[in-house]
Amino acid sequence: MAKEHRAGSKVRGDKLPAILMANHLLEGDVVFLADGGWTLDPSGAKIAHDAETAAAMEAEGKAAAAANAVVDPYLVPVDLTTTGLPVARHFRDAMRQKGPSVHPDMGKQAEYAPIR
Amino acid sequence: MTVITKKGEIADAYVRADTLETAFEADGIPLIPASLVDEYVVAKPGTDFGLSVPGSMPIEDLVPYLAQASLIAIEFPGFSDGRGFSLARRVKREGFAGRLRASGPLIADQFTDALQCGFDEVELPETMTNRQPVQQWMEAKDTITDFYQSGYGEGLSILEKRRAARKGARP
Amino acid sequence: MYRYDEFDERFVRERVAQFRGQVERRLEGSLTEDEFKPLRLKNGLYLQLHAYMLRIAVPYGTLNSRQLRQLAHIAETYDKGYGHFTTRQNLQFNWPKLKDVPDILDLLADVEMHCIQTSGNCIRNVTADQFAGVAKDEVEDPRPTAELLRQWSSLHPEFVWLPRKFKIAVTGAEHDRAAIKVHDIGLKLKRNAAGEVGYEVIVGGGLGRTPMIGKVVRDFLPKEELLAYLEAIMRVYNSEGRRDNKYKARVKILVHETGEEEFRARVEEEYAKLDGPTINAPEEEVERIAAYFAPPAYEDLAEDSATLDGARASDPALDRFVEQNGFAHKQPGYIALTIALKEIGAVPGDMSADQMRAFADIAEKYSFDEFRVTHSQNLVLPHVKKDDLPAVYAALKEAGLASANAGLITDIIACPGLDYCALATAKSIPIAQDIAKTFADPDRQKAIGDLPIKISGCINACGHHHVGAIGILGLEKGGRENYQITIGGDATEHAALGERLGPGIDAGDVPGAIEAVVETYLAEKQGSESFIETVRRTGAEPFKAGFTAFIEARAAAQSEAAE
Repeated sequence: MAKEHRAGSKVRGDKLPAILMANHLLEGDVVFLADGGWTLDPSGAKIAHDAETAAAMEAEGKAAAAANAVVDPYLVPVDLTTTGLPVARHFRDAMRQKGPSVHPDMGKQAEYAPIR
Repeated sequence: MTVITKKGEIADAYVRADTLETAFEADGIPLIPASLVDEYVVAKPGTDFGLSVPGSMPIEDLVPYLAQASLIAIEFPGFSDGRGFSLARRVKREGFAGRLRASGPLIADQFTDALQCGFDEVELPETMTNRQPVQQWMEAKDTITDFYQSGYGEGLSILEKRRAARKGARP
Repeated sequence: MYRYDEFDERFVRERVAQFRGQVERRLEGSLTEDEFKPLRLKNGLYLQLHAYMLRIAVPYGTLNSRQLRQLAHIAETYDKGYGHFTTRQNLQFNWPKLKDVPDILDLLADVEMHCIQTSGNCIRNVTADQFAGVAKDEVEDPRPTAELLRQWSSLHPEFVWLPRKFKIAVTGAEHDRAAIKVHDIGLKLKRNAAGEVGYEVIVGGGLGRTPMIGKVVRDFLPKEELLAYLEAIMRVYNSEGRRDNKYKARVKILVHETGEEEFRARVEEEYAKLDGPTINAPEEEVERIAAYFAPPAYEDLAEDSATLDGARASDPALDRFVEQNGFAHKQPGYIALTIALKEIGAVPGDMSADQMRAFADIAEKYSFDEFRVTHSQNLVLPHVKKDDLPAVYAALKEAGLASANAGLITDIIACPGLDYCALATAKSIPIAQDIAKTFADPDRQKAIGDLPIKISGCINACGHHHVGAIGILGLEKGGRENYQITIGGDATEHAALGERLGPGIDAGDVPGAIEAVVETYLAEKQGSESFIETVRRTGAEPFKAGFTAFIEARAAAQSEAAE
């Protein structure tokens, strides 16, 4: 069978720090792994600064997918703002953090405080 | 393995055999792969057997055995590989009178397709029936009442039913 | 247009119930995501970058006002108040929730609509000439064929697990507006020497990673043999199409690798074994479907309308609109109108719920309650009385739907691209917006004339960039978005694939590069040649020179600025 498209970061090289992103199965919304569950707010994402934490977060994502809560969880390499908030390094992931560039009135950018 | 027909689960009379020895000693009718069939029919002429073939097998290679095998099991490597459906149509067209089996990790949502294409039964690994028990297969089969395609399945297609209705309505 | 009978009605209702059950089985774990994904795709449901996306079938691009009002209702109730018309004459909603989709499907079924096979590895929604039943050069209306194929391909037991997606287009006219040479199967209604109607059957065209022009597999197929012959093609493809590599799985690759002659021989061999009469549609059934597409109750009118002529003379904007967006109708006194969803700076193909309701009223009142969706992401009012045109124009203007740029350089096709699509490698819509703003001046657009620009945000080519007179392909290069420009592509009966002008460029340079290409055209143009005619005559060389000069000038300016 042909290999189907799978979500995943396209950033090469150093993958840390990172956050874990997925889609909520029932709603479809982009969700971020936080301490003790998932959040819709991009600013609330838990940040992995070391490989061990990243691996644990990835395992948590896989478990949530197996439990039919989320779809396509994957680690997203980020840069940190001066206030310590995560900004995805790849433009595709950044688009998922914010919402469509052609509709500033829709998606995360319309519903949550911007990441600064 | 679980074998399901349109009436429900049945006991499997066939036993898979990967070598001639296991085929000879099988506790039931041996179900043998295409690679063994020539030797098998020489060794045991006239005995009952089932033949397992990949969905990719050309029909010409299968035709010589259709009069001898009592069951043809078409193997589906994955549920999304639809070649077996077309091979089933070709096997039926050649006049095969035995049982036609779809074997592999099919999903319940494909049961109607399989029956319409001429399969009599599906043989599923336990990993599939654990998630999709026989009950789901029976329900899936009855979700859609009528189909547009003529020449598939046993009943009339929607197109044929419309024509019949119009003829019936005529004075 | 076609109306459901009791069988069609029950079929779509049962399909909704089936999908509702599949969603329930996904949530409780009977179906894994890998199993559910192809099932939801076969019902038009994608998981995109921000949310689910639902693609609704608009069979051969035909809709009525009741359906459009229902779409407006769905847009407001379950989405964000708008819909997006696609390059396959369909409509997409970008923000539905999985939990709401079964209810949306029920609302669609209420108005004889569905999402069946708008995605997945199966026979997709059949497309047709948007001027079907209108065009003067039509041998026969393609819509009855398209409707028959819609029914025949729906939940086909044998052909829903194909190696890859499969697209069929039908035209009945001499001038090909349905792009039949770049479809998996293209059908052209024609007459043979004896005057009988049949089909030219073209197989193996397509865009995507490996664009190809289709090959004529049957020069003349008698009309009544259609379904059996298609079954033969589909069976050969389903059995022999490659399944080891998704980029080589389309039928175009099978035709290419097998060879045109051998492929034809295999189809004919399969066809010879089929029991045609048991497969083909009964003649009464073909006639029953065709009857739904009988011409509407036109009035007996003179070809010219004094009302319209007077209004055009006094209103230059109306005059420009009619000249640019009007299409000659075979019925005297009538005209077809293209409604370009291409307001300068807008998202190509987007329509708000308010616009949908306003347009539904216009179609109901002025176009026999019918309209069409085009593969250029525009709409068509097929049967407008010329006497009514001033009133229609006023109503369109009121709704923000009177853009007089159909076919011009600002009438740009763009896939959703990275703003929405999970497969995209670059943005597409903002590029279209920037180009449209660059060429916003109506006089400049008019001087340039017909120039279809088509933009895709990845190699899969949903924006049909290969067949754009100017094509733009967005890719990722070194962590940045990068755009390749091609020229000379054509989706009509002169089907041709575009040729690349040079290396890829940054998003910000695209409008300037397009201006350079246009300047080359205006310099090379002879007489009243259109852009594509000039390219055909001169070849790509002068355009490559113009493009290269632009790139060099840009680089020089940048290094100067850096010093």
